[in-house]
Amino acid sequence: MELVINLIINGLATGMLIFLLAAGLTLIFGLMSVLNFSHGGFFAWGAYMGIWLFTTTGNYLLAILGAMAVGLLLGAFTERVIIKPVYGNHIRQILITLGLMLVLQEMLKVVWGPNQLPARAPEFLSGSWVIGDIVIIKYRAFIILVGFLVFFLVHFMLKKTKIGLVVRAGVMNKEMVQALGININRVFMFVFMLGSAMAALSGVLLAPYSGVIYAEMGLEFAILAFIVVVIGGMGSFPGSLFAAILVGLSGAFMTYYVPDLSLAVNMLLMVIVLSIRPEGLFKVKG
Amino acid sequence: MKTGRITNLAMIVMGIILLILPFVYESRSLIILLTQIFIFAIFAMSYDILLGYTGIVSFGHAMFFGFGAYATGIFLQRAEPTMGVLLLALLVGVLISLVVSIIIGFLTLRLKSHFYAMLTLGLASLFLVLAEKWRTLTFGNDGFTFKIPELLRDRVHFYLLCLILMLGTFFLLKRFTNSPMGRVLQAIRENEQRVASLGFNPLYYKVIATVVAGVTATIAGSLYVMSLRFVNTSVFAIDVTLDALLMTIIGGVGTLVGPIIGAGIIEFAHEWLTSLASSYPIFERWIIFFGILYILVVIFFPKGIVGTLQSRFTKVKKVEVHRDEKDENIAG
Repeated sequence: MELVINLIINGLATGMLIFLLAAGLTLIFGLMSVLNFSHGGFFAWGAYMGIWLFTTTGNYLLAILGAMAVGLLLGAFTERVIIKPVYGNHIRQILITLGLMLVLQEMLKVVWGPNQLPARAPEFLSGSWVIGDIVIIKYRAFIILVGFLVFFLVHFMLKKTKIGLVVRAGVMNKEMVQALGININRVFMFVFMLGSAMAALSGVLLAPYSGVIYAEMGLEFAILAFIVVVIGGMGSFPGSLFAAILVGLSGAFMTYYVPDLSLAVNMLLMVIVLSIRPEGLFKVKG
Repeated sequence: MKTGRITNLAMIVMGIILLILPFVYESRSLIILLTQIFIFAIFAMSYDILLGYTGIVSFGHAMFFGFGAYATGIFLQRAEPTMGVLLLALLVGVLISLVVSIIIGFLTLRLKSHFYAMLTLGLASLFLVLAEKWRTLTFGNDGFTFKIPELLRDRVHFYLLCLILMLGTFFLLKRFTNSPMGRVLQAIRENEQRVASLGFNPLYYKVIATVVAGVTATIAGSLYVMSLRFVNTSVFAIDVTLDALLMTIIGGVGTLVGPIIGAGIIEFAHEWLTSLASSYPIFERWIIFFGILYILVVIFFPKGIVGTLQSRFTKVKKVEVHRDEKDENIAG
């Protein structure tokens, strides 16, 4: 029983990290129909920046804020400079964001060296609680908490605020939003920066969880996030949470019970979902 | 048609020069570099059938490369390294690619560009995992070395084989893209709905494009591991697909000369930048320059080198074309 609970906690924690990455992707896709292949780059930059700040200053909150600031800046730059010239052309978008991904990944190696860096959790989050037979690692509980917090914050923003209304309307029909006199370009930029900041947050949270950070982690996790976006339905925010938890849990259980299949299971999940429901599980009605 | 004839002529002249080269100028490193260029030119041309001619972005093209690579490696290691076994290995590799590309094509080509790109990425990584886990056959990530047939052990012989195969691929694919079938593919790239409304089934043509591209990539993969005499899981890695993508984009999508030029530029640049790395450490991260180049090319020269030159060339000629059209209109 305690094994199952531990696996569930692991799966939820991983799922939350993937969710933070996938939520930005899915909103960006839903709104601008841009599939951002450099999203993993923001994630990795968040991780490196956060860990660097944490080891130099020792302040974990500062590390998280610094990582998110990097995400915001990179997001703004990417949207304005890289993606704006190629709006509307899917093939060029895929290619250009992939190029940016390579640059971001290699820049990490230039700044921090090509080797893996160790990352540890702050003092107050290391260790674990023991309740009966169940051992809950504090840091994992923290990740799950942050994940749900971000989910509810963004969900609240989408449902209750004016900007959220505009974003939701834009996902359904952006020409109409524009026709009603709203500057859709500013909304694009806002959503892009929000998504990038979430990706960077995911990166800095992941670092102490996995223990090491390396430049290629961006692309590895981005692939998981893509799977989540596809399974959850592109543009669906709750869908990405559901799919991320599904991928996280299936990953955790498969790693324990059938380790050989653990890498393949997500791909299989995606293939199955796409063959049955090509629009994903939660289709955004337009 | 005139430009087509000029490129054909240029290819033949270049082919003859390259055929004579190893007998006139003996440089082992140059021969090896050119061999690599020929192999990647084949691979990039196969990718261009998808990207440039049909308008499909696949991130899993490495999987076909890998089939050729592993089929060749496994057969030559397990059986005698003779030409017969090599041909058999190629046949098996091509058959696997054929079956896989048909299945994948029918399963996935209905999907829109993004979904297709990601699904192929996923499938290629499935095969990467398979190659890593099936250790009895592939030796996992460590890979294995093998012997190649006696005849091809000589670097010059292998160079000639790759050159001939590259030229053969070029002319065959040129024939293919100029055929009615190839025209339909280009029409799909421009406007898929319209092609469908004209009574062609786009799915069927897309599957054929995938099969042609896959089979060609298999040959490239086979040649690649023969040049190394070693195979490991890196042949399935996304980097392989990215290389082909970069070569095609820089050279020019939708032309067959483009990928060849792109392969040449990338391989030369790679060689040059790695040699610079010994004196300037920043060049150890040469991928940065590729990435930046890549972004600049997509923004400023979306047609690549050959495409940009071609449109310049046709701009001058446009006046004549207009006159021809008018004549035809009058005649019609």
